[in-house]
Amino acid sequence: MRKILNAGLIGCGGRGTGAAENWLQAAKDVRIVALADVFADRLAGSRAYLEGMKHDGVRLSDERCFVGFDAYRRLLALEDVDVVLLATPPGFRPLHFEAAVAAGKHCFVEKPIAVDPVGVRRFLAAGRQAAEKGLAVVAGTQYRHQEGFQEVVRRVREGWIGEIREARVFYNGGPVPHHARQDGWTDMEDQIRNWWYYDWLSGDCIVEQHIHTIDVGNWLLGAHPVRATGSGGRIQRVGEGFGNGYDHFAIDFEYAGGIHCLSMNRQWAGSDGYVGAWVRGTEGVARPYEGVIEGARPWRYEGASTLGTAYVQEHADLIASIRAGKPANESAQVAESTLTAIMGRQAAYTGRTITWQEMTESDLDYSPAKHEFGPLDVRRVPVPGSE
Amino acid sequence: MGITRRQFLAAASASAVALAAANAVHAGADETIRVGLIGCGGRGTGAAQNVLEAGGEVELVALADLFPERIESCLGYLRDPKNGLDGVKVDPDRCFSGFDAYERLLALGEVDLVLLATPPGFRPAHFEAAVAAGKHVFMEKPVAVDPVGVRRVIAAGEQAALKGLRVVAGTQRRHQEDYLQTIARIHDGGVGEILAGRCSWNTGGLWSYDRQEGQSDAEWQVRNWLYFDWLSGDHIVEQHVHNLDVMNWVLRAHPLRATAVGGRTQRVAAKYGNIYDHFAVDYEYPGGIRVVSMCRQITGCADAVGESVVGTLGRANPAGSIEGLTSWRYSGNATNPYVQEHRDLLAAIREGRPLNEARTVAEATLTAILGREAAYTGATITWQEILASKLDLSPHVREFGPLAMRSIPVPGRER
Repeated sequence: MRKILNAGLIGCGGRGTGAAENWLQAAKDVRIVALADVFADRLAGSRAYLEGMKHDGVRLSDERCFVGFDAYRRLLALEDVDVVLLATPPGFRPLHFEAAVAAGKHCFVEKPIAVDPVGVRRFLAAGRQAAEKGLAVVAGTQYRHQEGFQEVVRRVREGWIGEIREARVFYNGGPVPHHARQDGWTDMEDQIRNWWYYDWLSGDCIVEQHIHTIDVGNWLLGAHPVRATGSGGRIQRVGEGFGNGYDHFAIDFEYAGGIHCLSMNRQWAGSDGYVGAWVRGTEGVARPYEGVIEGARPWRYEGASTLGTAYVQEHADLIASIRAGKPANESAQVAESTLTAIMGRQAAYTGRTITWQEMTESDLDYSPAKHEFGPLDVRRVPVPGSE
Repeated sequence: MGITRRQFLAAASASAVALAAANAVHAGADETIRVGLIGCGGRGTGAAQNVLEAGGEVELVALADLFPERIESCLGYLRDPKNGLDGVKVDPDRCFSGFDAYERLLALGEVDLVLLATPPGFRPAHFEAAVAAGKHVFMEKPVAVDPVGVRRVIAAGEQAALKGLRVVAGTQRRHQEDYLQTIARIHDGGVGEILAGRCSWNTGGLWSYDRQEGQSDAEWQVRNWLYFDWLSGDHIVEQHVHNLDVMNWVLRAHPLRATAVGGRTQRVAAKYGNIYDHFAVDYEYPGGIRVVSMCRQITGCADAVGESVVGTLGRANPAGSIEGLTSWRYSGNATNPYVQEHRDLLAAIREGRPLNEARTVAEATLTAILGREAAYTGATITWQEILASKLDLSPHVREFGPLAMRSIPVPGRER
């Protein structure tokens, strides 16, 4: 194996650029050597930022910067790229991950990893391929790499709060960016630049954002839910240009053994924010985001790990696993959390109680017929009771 | 049971000696309890039927409603021989319509007990007036639509207690044997220490009226009252209050704070006024207990109405079963709680026993308002804040005419 690990970034937006920076911060002898994005301006902005870091590992050239819908394929064709960072809108993730595994690349995959059950199954199959090929896969569910969370989860597993009886997960936040449509933008360009608001690109806010906390819930409970019932809608973010997504969801997830977890998330301006999880057992409460256990055996995390360090740690763990020849593979775990969020979304969209079994077999596929600039209709905003 | 005896009973509840005297008087005097109904819609008509079915000497003697034809339809139902109701003794001059109908009914000296069953936005004013007039009260849930109204009900309820008046609310699960027995077992430790709870009223849509030609804003809103905040308080208050009342009862407390979401997805047409079609609330109670509340009126979805309680030793469905160290299921007869609540009220009046549910139903109502406002605003709201809130949705209409609808609440902009 080469001493130096070369990474290529696919998806040069804010998170992708951040992931590239985190990659460079995570270890010695790592480089970022290629960029790919559908838009030239996003790629240029990312390149300027990375080169502005004055980091020895930033080795970019015009020949290694690719623009367009096939940019990812041209980047994956570079033989000296060992690792790819997949950070486009999640609707592209199954396609990109399949191609990356086929090209023999180790992968860092941003969350979520799909927007629909068909995409989740494609991702899972590629993840199994990665394992067979000895490729590492680490996901951007970075709390899994944050020591304070790991310590809380370990204690919950060891019984510090007794038997788990009930849980809550929240991602009550504010709005995400919005770009007014420019003259000359096709539907496709407008949708990709405003990807948060379109089902086929983001999977809606419960999948795109709240997956973080849903993943923490699954981690704490050591399982995925067996069914979901819930509501959601759009009440604040209703204007033209906001696609077909909801701005709030509330889901009652039921896990095996009759344990219920309320999941609540919203993207509302001017509202009280809270991102966190709460698990109540027979002898106490665990709140991993605060690093706290309350009850019979109170405990508080006093270490130095933070959200910021976790963004770097996930890359450090990826790199260490590659260098040790023991490739990490988080594909099944992040796929399960993605499907959990999709199950909650579908419960709200339809108003039905949705089972895990139903989701694993669902043919729901939001992908557009083709990835090219041009007209692209938007599905209507889902109305429960009629989906 | 005339006004003199009622006053005597009111005074009597002050002391055991007098209570004995009251019971002595009771044996000999006019036993009949005379009832007036204020609000002659479906639920009011049902409440009148239920009080007549509750037994003993009860007469319905007066009716009041905004609309004369609702009085007609109410009487038509109650007098229909196939409903087999005795005691409907309503003279035409005891039927009142219009905005002052309730005042004219309350002025009748022979009325001992009033049933308050108008849309809840009118309840605080009607309850205050009923207590001031010295009437015993059955009032439908919810008892207000805003914190100002809740405080008026609490104050009038305290007045009622001082005057020895009985007050029962239409949160009928409090009079339902399966709930009573299950919650008694929960309070005896049947599920151990309570950790969490859930309640839901997830159902389809309810009736609605399209606006008729020439109808004023105010008339249309009152006829289509479910869909206007100042009349119904939104469906979390109007309907889901039942389940929230059960949670308060089980936990012997009201919540300390609430965080919520809500909106309208299916029921978006103009005739659905300014209310939401779904809410979800995370309530925090004392002791770190958390309760999920979910309600929706969206047709074609998974329906679920009920409550559940999670404890250290097991789980309970307050409607009749406990799974825990000792599992138990209610096996008694199904009772009709809509009749039982009137039996309990009539018995309390006749026997001179105190019975005053004003505060519990006011707290259940405020619990629902707390959840609603948390959704409407996007704020996490405390009990102290909502209890002190100056929010008053009432337009104080005394005649039909133009009445602007408040806009549909948008979280983050309502604070």
